[in-house]
Amino acid sequence: MCGIAGILYKQAGSHELGHALIDMLDGCQHRGPDSTGFALYGDRQEHLQLRFIVPTDEAGRDKAIDNIRSLLTKHNASIVEELSVGCSYKISVKFEGDLLDFTKDIEEHAKLVSVGHTLDIIKDDGTAHQVDDTYHVSEFKGSHGIGHVRLATESAVRPEAAHPFWATGFEDIAIVHNGQLTNYWKMRRRLQRRGFTFHTDNDSELVAVYLADKLAQGNTLEQALQTAIEDMDGTFSFLVSTPTEIGFAKDHLAAKPMVLLETDDLIAVASEEVSLNRLFPGQAINSTEPAPGTYQTWSL
Amino acid sequence: MVTLDLSQLNITEANLKIRECGRKGEDVEIINPDARHNIGVGLVEPITVRVRGSAGYFCGGLTDSAHFEIENNAGWAAGDNIYNGSVIVGGNAGAIAGVGLRGGEVVIRGNMGSRAGQIMKAGTLCCGGKAAFMAGYMMYGGRIIILGDAAEKVGQDMSAGEIFVGGQIESLGSDAEIVDLAPGDLESIQEFLDRYGMSFDGTFTKVASAGKKLRYNKQEPRHRPQPFFVHSKSSDYWNPKVQEDIWIKGEVGRYRIRGYGASKPVPHLNDIAFARDVSSVEANVGAVEGINLRTKVGGRYGAKPLDLSMPVMIAPMSFGALSRSVKIALARASRLSGISENTGEGGMMDQQRDEADQLVFQMLSGRLGWNVKDMQRADAIEIYISQGAKPGLGGQLMAKKVTPELAAIRGIPVGIDLRSPSRHPDVLGADDLVIKMDELREAVGHRIPLGLKMGAGRVKDDIKIAYKDGFDFVELDGLQGSTGAASTEVLENVGIPTISAIQEAVDGLNEINADDDMQLVLMGGIKDGVDAVKMMALGAHCVSVGTAAIIAGGCIACMQCHVGTCPVGIATQDPAHESRYDIDRQAQNMHRFFESMRWQMAAITKALGYDDIHRVSRDDLVALTPEVADITGLPYVPGHRDHARADDDLSSLSRKAG
Repeated sequence: MCGIAGILYKQAGSHELGHALIDMLDGCQHRGPDSTGFALYGDRQEHLQLRFIVPTDEAGRDKAIDNIRSLLTKHNASIVEELSVGCSYKISVKFEGDLLDFTKDIEEHAKLVSVGHTLDIIKDDGTAHQVDDTYHVSEFKGSHGIGHVRLATESAVRPEAAHPFWATGFEDIAIVHNGQLTNYWKMRRRLQRRGFTFHTDNDSELVAVYLADKLAQGNTLEQALQTAIEDMDGTFSFLVSTPTEIGFAKDHLAAKPMVLLETDDLIAVASEEVSLNRLFPGQAINSTEPAPGTYQTWSL
Repeated sequence: MVTLDLSQLNITEANLKIRECGRKGEDVEIINPDARHNIGVGLVEPITVRVRGSAGYFCGGLTDSAHFEIENNAGWAAGDNIYNGSVIVGGNAGAIAGVGLRGGEVVIRGNMGSRAGQIMKAGTLCCGGKAAFMAGYMMYGGRIIILGDAAEKVGQDMSAGEIFVGGQIESLGSDAEIVDLAPGDLESIQEFLDRYGMSFDGTFTKVASAGKKLRYNKQEPRHRPQPFFVHSKSSDYWNPKVQEDIWIKGEVGRYRIRGYGASKPVPHLNDIAFARDVSSVEANVGAVEGINLRTKVGGRYGAKPLDLSMPVMIAPMSFGALSRSVKIALARASRLSGISENTGEGGMMDQQRDEADQLVFQMLSGRLGWNVKDMQRADAIEIYISQGAKPGLGGQLMAKKVTPELAAIRGIPVGIDLRSPSRHPDVLGADDLVIKMDELREAVGHRIPLGLKMGAGRVKDDIKIAYKDGFDFVELDGLQGSTGAASTEVLENVGIPTISAIQEAVDGLNEINADDDMQLVLMGGIKDGVDAVKMMALGAHCVSVGTAAIIAGGCIACMQCHVGTCPVGIATQDPAHESRYDIDRQAQNMHRFFESMRWQMAAITKALGYDDIHRVSRDDLVALTPEVADITGLPYVPGHRDHARADDDLSSLSRKAG
């Protein structure tokens, strides 16, 4: 019930990342009209960047922000910069403790959606262009990123259920997913036994937690993707991003679409070629379709 | 040659212009296609369309006699369901190239994606490069030529047809085997390759159906099944029906198959009564005058809605499960009563089209009998996802019913035990569904409504998807819905009751604040006009009747629909049996039954104090059991059993009125 897109520029530096992802997601917005999200990687920031989802009404927002501030105080984290925009509250904080404990506690009491020194996850209800209007995604310059459009089936379209998902407890890792895991509860129980908590019933959150867990155990991204294809049952095409890489994995049945384009300058992956073609309007591009049950990664 | 620029025109505008060129016999060139979907869909004239770049999904799909040349790549389902003509892709093609081909030629010069040629029935699909996973999956006929290597599971579950592979075969699919080349195979391939300027100098391996799967070797003993549990004196658990079931499985060693729907008691409309005393209906013999029953279905996006004289449709039932004669009688009865008939699976017959004023054309997963020309003469189209009797399963048609005539209209081999796939080749999620819906609407120029037929499972989620994806109407089918053949395990155990289905649908749409613009058509155990009014009060806009119509038209409910030797000529393709069916008489019987529904609906509407049936609401109902109160949220008022008795009286009154 979604469309996905990702791009990685081979040359280091600041590229028109925001623009590119907006174009690609606008190209496949028909796959998911309810919400749109971006995981954007820019220059490494000195301080830890956190983004929360907060209510949009003033009273609710003030209360949520007060709560976040007291949580930060509790963990000896001090706010260096803050920005309240749309349904989100973004801060950079000075923090020197154990990130896993810190975020685990915060996540129990606030809707934390992005954590990292290079990553910023922006997601909200609406189309790619509507989200851009509020968050100015198009102004974001960076090296790589992934994005997602979503059709929601829950009662209210909630921004926190939109993708990308941050890999709980591990900074700078994000995923977007198209498909459905059929062994969700089994895998979720397995990860819960390993101490992870889940904040939605969304199977895509599980993909993020699963990969983070594998990476934390010392696996490379490639190894994590390889085991993901074996462990996950169902139909899926997903993208994952780290501070230096993007990768994809595709299920054994090839049930969800995905096309890939590599040029001298960039790697782009999307649900449909129409998204890739947005990067090169009027030109025929030389795309390929990854085989079922395969994965691949690219580094900066 | 006319040039159309897709950076300036949207796809609907472009397709209208392409068709206009078709009528004038002018070729078309598409510039700036940029992988947009549904290019050229619905074209039925022999012109050439050149796509200067890459095309998206369904390029050249649902066409007849046209020629498409795509310079670069094509997305999913290039050449979907073409009857004649050709689609040539210069680069690579995505998944399911040549899906559901009924003829013509699809040529992919590069590589092709997974499941190429799925459910194809005729024509040739040729790939110059490599073919991915499951080429020829569930194909029913035709020819696939792969010059390069073929990945895993070539010919998975193919029923017929032939696959020629020039390179390596990674593995064969289940029920596929390698066979010797027949005389003339190579010459015919060479002729084909020469025509498209393709060269190949190796040998071919030929793959065909092994024919070992999907056959029933041992038939069930012939008998009339016990429709309901019969409580024996000693036990109501190991009762005679349960014992019989075990005995027969002991004999055949597999699941059992029968017709009809769930035959166990589930909460239903009998457990609901009208909140007001409707006994005044007795005075309303002439109630039909002055009560509005007219019902429109499907105008959400400006298509011409179905315009029904009352909120009743005939449920989708196939020519295949039912005989030609019954389909004609149903079509005639629908016209006489001013309601709609539905083709069900298996295609549209000319006589059916002629008899019915309003005909819904249904698209199922196997695309059996599905084609652009019949779409363009339908009054609505409907995507079948599942049905109440057997959610999650495709259709089943036992070999006895697969006659030469029926096989021809469906495009399949004669005499196979036909399984339709359980899911659509090109709809693997709500996201793909949107593009498929666009394709269908393009093929009919957005003129007629597009509905969804759905068995009741996780209705609350599914109804939201249906609404957000943009269907004009939904036919929602509860557990009690019937079928021509299914395993008893699924018939009895899968799905939720019709009243749960309507309640979940209403709740789901309320949760997303949906406007009232996507109509709910409820079916599954609607036996008369009383049920219909109750269902509408629960939130349906219209009901659909299948079994009741068939019984009115002569069915004796023996539940042996799958066998193919229906004693009254309904569920059969055997001419001797079908000859027992009197079309004229049974069409009149069905018509009179529909008129009795009309009278019942009007009389109750009037007794409830309304002049329009669409004004009935939940306030007009009470639940007679705590269970139904829990499902529906209606007040539990056991004292209203008296009124329930008044409902029963209506049944006798309808005879008087008819």
